[in-house]
Amino acid sequence: MNERVPQISTTIRLSVRGLNRRFGYRRVIRNLTLDVEAGSVLVLIGHNGAGKTTLIRLLAGLLKPTSGTVTREGSFGLVAHDSMFYDSLTAKENLRFFGNLVGSAESSRIEELLLVTGLTEHAERRVEAFSRGMVQRLTMARALLHDPELLLLDEPMTGLDDAATTTVQRLLADLASRNRSIVLATHHLPEVVHLATEVGFLVSGEMKALEPIGGRDSRALMDRYRELVQNG
Amino acid sequence: MTNSNPIERLLKRGWTLTIAALLSLVAVYVRVVYFTPVESTQGPAQKIFYVHVPSAWAALVAFAVTGIVSLLYLKRRDEKLDTIGAASAEVGLVFGAVMLTTGPIWGKVIWGAWWAWDAKLTSTLFLYILFVGYVVLRGAVVDPEMRARFSAVVGILALILVPFIYFSVNMFRTLHPEPPVLRSGGPALPGSMLLTLMLSVVVFSVLYVGFLMVRYSLSVLKDLREKRAADGIS
Amino acid sequence: MASSLLNTALSVAAKDLRIEWRTKTAFASSIVFAVLVLAIFYFSRDTTVVSELDIAPSALWVTFTFASMLGLNRAFLLEQENRAIDAILITDVPRTGVFLGKVLGNLAFVAVVELITLPLFALFFNVPILRPLPALLAVTAMATLAFVTVGTLLSAMVVRTRFAELMLPVLLLPFLVPPVIGAVQITAGLLAYRPLSDFSGWLRLLASFDIAFVAACLLLFDATVEE
Repeated sequence: MNERVPQISTTIRLSVRGLNRRFGYRRVIRNLTLDVEAGSVLVLIGHNGAGKTTLIRLLAGLLKPTSGTVTREGSFGLVAHDSMFYDSLTAKENLRFFGNLVGSAESSRIEELLLVTGLTEHAERRVEAFSRGMVQRLTMARALLHDPELLLLDEPMTGLDDAATTTVQRLLADLASRNRSIVLATHHLPEVVHLATEVGFLVSGEMKALEPIGGRDSRALMDRYRELVQNG
Repeated sequence: MTNSNPIERLLKRGWTLTIAALLSLVAVYVRVVYFTPVESTQGPAQKIFYVHVPSAWAALVAFAVTGIVSLLYLKRRDEKLDTIGAASAEVGLVFGAVMLTTGPIWGKVIWGAWWAWDAKLTSTLFLYILFVGYVVLRGAVVDPEMRARFSAVVGILALILVPFIYFSVNMFRTLHPEPPVLRSGGPALPGSMLLTLMLSVVVFSVLYVGFLMVRYSLSVLKDLREKRAADGIS
Repeated sequence: MASSLLNTALSVAAKDLRIEWRTKTAFASSIVFAVLVLAIFYFSRDTTVVSELDIAPSALWVTFTFASMLGLNRAFLLEQENRAIDAILITDVPRTGVFLGKVLGNLAFVAVVELITLPLFALFFNVPILRPLPALLAVTAMATLAFVTVGTLLSAMVVRTRFAELMLPVLLLPFLVPPVIGAVQITAGLLAYRPLSDFSGWLRLLASFDIAFVAACLLLFDATVEE
């Protein structure tokens, strides 16, 4: 179900070497190294406080590393914990603003994305009136405006209704099928495990293991996680 | 276990320097009171000048150091630079307070008015308020890296502001001149008084350096303690 | 395809103004504040001792600066709500453009407040603003550029603390001194029908202040948003 189509040549979309990040005196990310290839769907598993949000922010360039490097090839989109929208603007106005910044604000493109995320009839409503599920769908729409080669997501499924969950899953699957890369941090495994090609296990800021999915289900992955936590 | 000995040595040296400077200060003021001639127009009250001017000098040096170190911090991102800048700002506030209290006292005795909006005192007051803001901003930011960055930005802005404050207050003063009695004894001081002033300035400078060393060391030691505590937990 | 500096700035400014137009809260507070301050200045003077012309310039500039300060924080506060600024920062638009946009938005906001306050000022204080109006507007523009630019940069930092509304005036006040002294001096002269050429010294001060601080703030903005 998630066998990767054999690639003739692989391109690295995201490269991380020796990444460290401190907040004050706490080391939140320790010596992290990873590569994300085109077409890869990397799911990052970690308990609360393991550093998932910090890592995603570092990968997005919103945080500067204390040491180490993060290199991205090509454009990327971000779906984060905060909506990053302007509540008093409508969905369309929000998309138009961000679209302008990435050079992708044609009405046709915006309408297409609103359609794909099921938000067409809410286009002229202010974001402050949106439910969490609608906001998350709009966030996906924004992230996909410029058809990025890499998508970073931080807990995208949290607090979503069924319609929104399905929409997000569908969009992610579509991205993966078009050879886009995805890095998704979560502790809601069952909803995303079927999309994953690789899994990273984050324990207290360290990537204890980075492995291909190997056809495992979420229970097997949680067992593996617990095993890695115990082994210290 | 991090070696804190170099810092503790710096702290000791700082205290030594400070105490030496304070003792020298006593000596200088004996000279001021007993061995320096009394100024004719202002009388013995003029002797406040030997505290007022050097403390102004020290405050300005302190704020200038903060400004320069802020520029360096943004280039090099060395947190030691931030600690020096913060320490210097605090020391500057101490000297500034001395300057801003001796100024009005002197003014009251000489002209009968506590505050006459003269160019130098007014400029220093605004600079002082700016550095109070600097210290308050530092207190309001929790993350050390953000605090250092924000302080550096304010420090650089302060550095650029200083000449503008001086020129604007001065220009205002040429239109609305100060009381003629206020000539704070410029270069046309007779030799003996000039020497006393110079001695006082030198001692205040040493005092500044001593205070800076002490304040800096205390900051670094506190940081080290916190680091040890954080490492112990995580 | 990244936006150019100007495009980014205009996009950000337009977006900010659209948001302010929807809510109008900062705008309303500023106008009300301005009217109150002018009225207080007017009524609190002793008419036998102080003529209107003596107090008018100071009253005008205190009103302009304090009413404007009420609105300066909104530019970055609206980015804080849902961390919208992050979505801007991950694009490759020039950050200087983002700052410029914030300044333009704030300038537009303050300009409207000033343009509404100015006729009220002429009315309350019975001062002749029509004849020296072009010069008055020019001086107002120069001084406003000064404190809005610095205020916007300080606001970018201050909104990340818990006491944004308190901290902004504390930090901004010293930066108001050179431009406001100049503006008050020139305004006083203009209202007494003196020509603008009489004030070349103050004008030079204002111009160099503008140049120095606009440049410095544009350069320093990046340090206030990176983490």
